[in-house]
Amino acid sequence: MKSQKRKDAFAKLTGKCRFLDDYTVPDMLQGYIIYTTIDRGWIRKINFPAGFDLQEFTIVSASDIPGKNIVPEPVNDQPFMTSEVVDNFGQVILGIAHPNREILKKFISLTRIEYERRNAVTDTKECLDNEANQFGEIMHLKHELAPTYNLRHLWKWQQIFYTQHQEQAYLEPQGMLAEYNIEKEEMKITGTMQCPFFVKDAVESIMGKAVKNVVIETSEGIGGAFGGKEDFPNLLAGVTALLAWKAQKPVKIVLDRKDDLLITTNRHPSRVDIIAIMHDQNGFISKIDIDYRLDAGAFQTLSPVVLHRGILHATGGYNIAEVKIKGSLHRSNTPPNGAFRGFGAPQAIFAMESFIDNVAHRLSISPLRLRQLNLLKTGDQLPTSQIVTENHLQDCLDRVVQLSGYKKKFTDFQEYNKTNTVKKGIGLALGLHGGGYTGNGEKVLQSRVKIVLEKNGMVNIYVANVEMGQGAHTTLAQMVNSIFKLPPEKVNVVIPNTSQTPNSGPTVASRTIYVVGNLLQKLAERIKSELGFADLKDHIAKNQNSFPQSFEEVFVPDPADDFDDITNQGVAYHDFSWAACVVEITYDPDLYQIRVDKCWNVLDVGKVINEGIALGQVYGGVVQALGWALTENIYKKGYPRLSGFTDYTLPASLDIPEIKVEFIHTNSPVAKGLGEIPMDYPAPAVRNAFLQATGIMINELPLTPERIFAAQGRSKK
Amino acid sequence: MTISFLLNNEPVTITTEPMRRLLDVLREDLKVRSVKESCGEGECGACSVILAGKPVTSCLVNIAQVEGIEVLTAEGISQTPAGKILIDCFEETNAVQCGFCFTGFLVSCWHYLTTTPVADAEAIKQAISGNICRCTGYVKIIEAVQLACQRINKEQSHEIS
Ligand code: FES
Ligand code: FES
Repeated sequence: MKSQKRKDAFAKLTGKCRFLDDYTVPDMLQGYIIYTTIDRGWIRKINFPAGFDLQEFTIVSASDIPGKNIVPEPVNDQPFMTSEVVDNFGQVILGIAHPNREILKKFISLTRIEYERRNAVTDTKECLDNEANQFGEIMHLKHELAPTYNLRHLWKWQQIFYTQHQEQAYLEPQGMLAEYNIEKEEMKITGTMQCPFFVKDAVESIMGKAVKNVVIETSEGIGGAFGGKEDFPNLLAGVTALLAWKAQKPVKIVLDRKDDLLITTNRHPSRVDIIAIMHDQNGFISKIDIDYRLDAGAFQTLSPVVLHRGILHATGGYNIAEVKIKGSLHRSNTPPNGAFRGFGAPQAIFAMESFIDNVAHRLSISPLRLRQLNLLKTGDQLPTSQIVTENHLQDCLDRVVQLSGYKKKFTDFQEYNKTNTVKKGIGLALGLHGGGYTGNGEKVLQSRVKIVLEKNGMVNIYVANVEMGQGAHTTLAQMVNSIFKLPPEKVNVVIPNTSQTPNSGPTVASRTIYVVGNLLQKLAERIKSELGFADLKDHIAKNQNSFPQSFEEVFVPDPADDFDDITNQGVAYHDFSWAACVVEITYDPDLYQIRVDKCWNVLDVGKVINEGIALGQVYGGVVQALGWALTENIYKKGYPRLSGFTDYTLPASLDIPEIKVEFIHTNSPVAKGLGEIPMDYPAPAVRNAFLQATGIMINELPLTPERIFAAQGRSKK
Repeated sequence: MTISFLLNNEPVTITTEPMRRLLDVLREDLKVRSVKESCGEGECGACSVILAGKPVTSCLVNIAQVEGIEVLTAEGISQTPAGKILIDCFEETNAVQCGFCFTGFLVSCWHYLTTTPVADAEAIKQAISGNICRCTGYVKIIEAVQLACQRINKEQSHEIS
C-alpha cells in the first residue's frame, strides 16, 4: 500500500516553506551574540572597536536582564549570559543588534575580550575518569532476584567503554526572531525549536515583569533538530527577546554554522564500566554491576534526565538476576551537552552490546548464542522490577538473523579472513527504547490536545509538538483521520503557537506519535461518538450553526503505572520498542578503514501509521548512528574544536550501506516510539562486526583509522 | 557595480558590491528563498543553484562571476518538465524530511536527470555526493531519483515512437 504523502513536501521542495531565516518583518534588526572564547577563567575587559557609531547598535549584557539570569531547565544552573566568570567556551557575554548585517559582523569580529585564564577540564577522559569531577545527584538502581549461578563456574570480568561528543548537524542552524509589541507589552518569539512551552518559560524567566505576555510560535519549517533544538533555543530566545525589548524593534538572530557547531549542545560523552559475573563456559550472566557516567559539560541543565534514561536502558535487552547500576554526571569546561536522539540510551546500549560480544569472543562462543541465552523474554523483570508484558525482541532477533543470513556468513567470514588481507565481519546488536517521558514524567506533564471542527468542514489539530522533519504533522493528521475518514487535505495540524495551542508537551522522547498521537486518536473517537455521525462532512454541512466546535482531551496514564524516583523501581516506561540489527563490514587493514556494506534492521514499534515516513526515520537514524560509530569526531583538546563542516565528517551519500528495514508485529493497536530507537543499536553492531573481522576489541567510539591504528598497535604488543 | 544575468529565465539587473556572495544576493536582494545557507563553505550543497548549466554552491560564488550567465534555482527548476517529475517522485516516496537540504538536492538531481538519467544507485550517489542531508540517510532520495529516471526514460521513449 502506498503511504499518504507528506503534507509539507511540496512547499519544502519548491522553496515556498519558510524557515526562520526566511522571515523578515518591517524595521527588523540583525542580531548576534558575542560569546566566551576561553574554557575557564574570568572576563576582564571588553574592547569595542573604534570607527563605529555605538549609537547605531543595541547591546545587551547580563546587567540588562530585568528578570532572572537563569535558563529554566530540570536543573536551574546555567545563566543566559555571563559578565565575569567563564565556565565554558561559548557562554554568551553580549547580544548585539544593528540594522545592517555586514556592519554588525564586522563590529563583532573586531571586538576584543580580555580574559584571565584558569585551568580547565576539556578532555572527555580526563573529565570522566576523575571522580572529583562528579556533580549533581548520583542515581542508583538495584535489583536482586534469587541468585541463579552455579558457584563452581563463576567468572568475573570487567570492561570499560567510552564514547565521544556527537554534533547534531541539523542542516538549519539555530535562529530566533523576537518582536516586542510596546502597547500590548507582549513579546512574540518565532523560532526553530522543538519545545515552544520550554521557550515560553525561558523568555518569561529572562524578561520577568518587564513584559506582560509571552507568545511563542514555531517557524513554518524546522530544518532538523534531533534534540539539538530542545534546550539551546531557550537560551537563544532569551537573549533575542532581551535585545528586541531594549531596541524596541524586532530582532532576528541566525547562528553561523561555525558558531552553531561550537556553542550549541552535543551528545554526552560517556564512560560505562561493566563488571559481570557469568558462567565461565556458556556466558550466562547472573550478576551485573554498571557504572554509567556522562560528561555533562559545564552545567547540568537537562543532563540528569539523560542520565536517568541511560541507567534505565543500561542492561539492554537482557534478563539478569542481580543488577546494580550507578549513574553520575561529571563536570567539564565544555558547553553543556544536551538532548540528542537516543538521550543516553545509545551510550548505554553501546557498552552493553559491546560487552556481550567481548564475552562471546573470550569464551569462543557465538555472539548469537550468547544473546539467546541471556535474552529478555515476556514475563521477565527489568531491573526496575517492571514485568515485561510485551516483548518481541526474540522475534526481532530471529528475523534479522534469517534475513541477513547471519549464521552462514559468520562462519564464511571466519574462513575468508584466514586467507585474505582485507577482512569481512558481521555483527549483531539489540536495541530497546522506552516511549515517552521517563517514570512519572507523563503523569506530571498531563498533555492536552485540541481538535477544532471548522464550519467549512476542515479539521484543525492543535498540539505543541512540532514538525521538525520527522513527519509528525502528517502522521498525527493521519491518526485523527483514521476516525474521521475525510480527504487527507481536510485534516491539518496548525503551526504550534503557545497562545492558541494547548500544552501537549515537548517534541522529544519518541513521544509525539506514541503519547500525543494516541491521545488525539482517542479524542477523535470521543468526538465521533459524542456527535454520533456516520459521515463528518455531511454532519457539519447539515448542522452549520453548531460549528466551529472545539474539543480537548488530557492524557491520563495507566493508573497501574507507578514509579519511585528514588529507588528507580516501578514502571519506567509503559511501552518499549524493540529492535535487532545485523551489520556487515569490510575492513581494509592497510588504510585502517571500515566500510559498512549492509545493515539489516528488524523493529517492533507497534502499529506503523505511515510506512514511508517510518522507514525514513529508520534510514535517517541508522545513518546518524553510523556517523557516530565511524567518522564523527569533534574532540581536540581546547578550542576552537571545529571551524565548520570541513572538519567534521558527516555521512555522505557515498558512505551509506545497503539498508534493509522490516517492521514486525504491526498489527498492534498502539503506535509506539520510533524516532530514537534507530540511533540506539547500529554503532555497537558495527563495532561487533569489526571485532569479528579482526579479533581486536575496541571499547571506544568513533572507530576512526587513528583509533584503530592505536588499538592495533596495542593488541600486537 | 551593475550586474545583469538571467534568473529562472527572467532577466535581472542589480547594482551591488562585486564581492558579495551569489547566495546573499539571491536571498536578500532578489528574495529567492529556495537557496539555503547551512555551512557557508561549500560543504553541504544546501545553497546549490545551476550556473551556466552546472550545479554550483552559491555560497562560494561572487556575484561578479555571474554577469551575463544563466542562473536556475529550485523555483525555476520546479517549472520544468524534469523538475516536475522529480518533485512528484520525492513526494510519492516520502523522501523529504525537514526539507532544509531538499532544494539543494532538487538542483543536483535535476542536473543528473537532465544529463544522464540512468536509474543506477551508485551513479546517483555520486551525483548527490556534494549534498549533505542529516535527516534521511539518503536512501529515499536515491529511490526517488531512480523512479524519476524510469519515468523520464519512459516519456522519452514514447516521444520517439
Ligand atoms: S551553504 Fe553553500 S555549500 Fe553549504
Ligand atoms: S531532510 Fe533534513 S537535512 Fe535533509
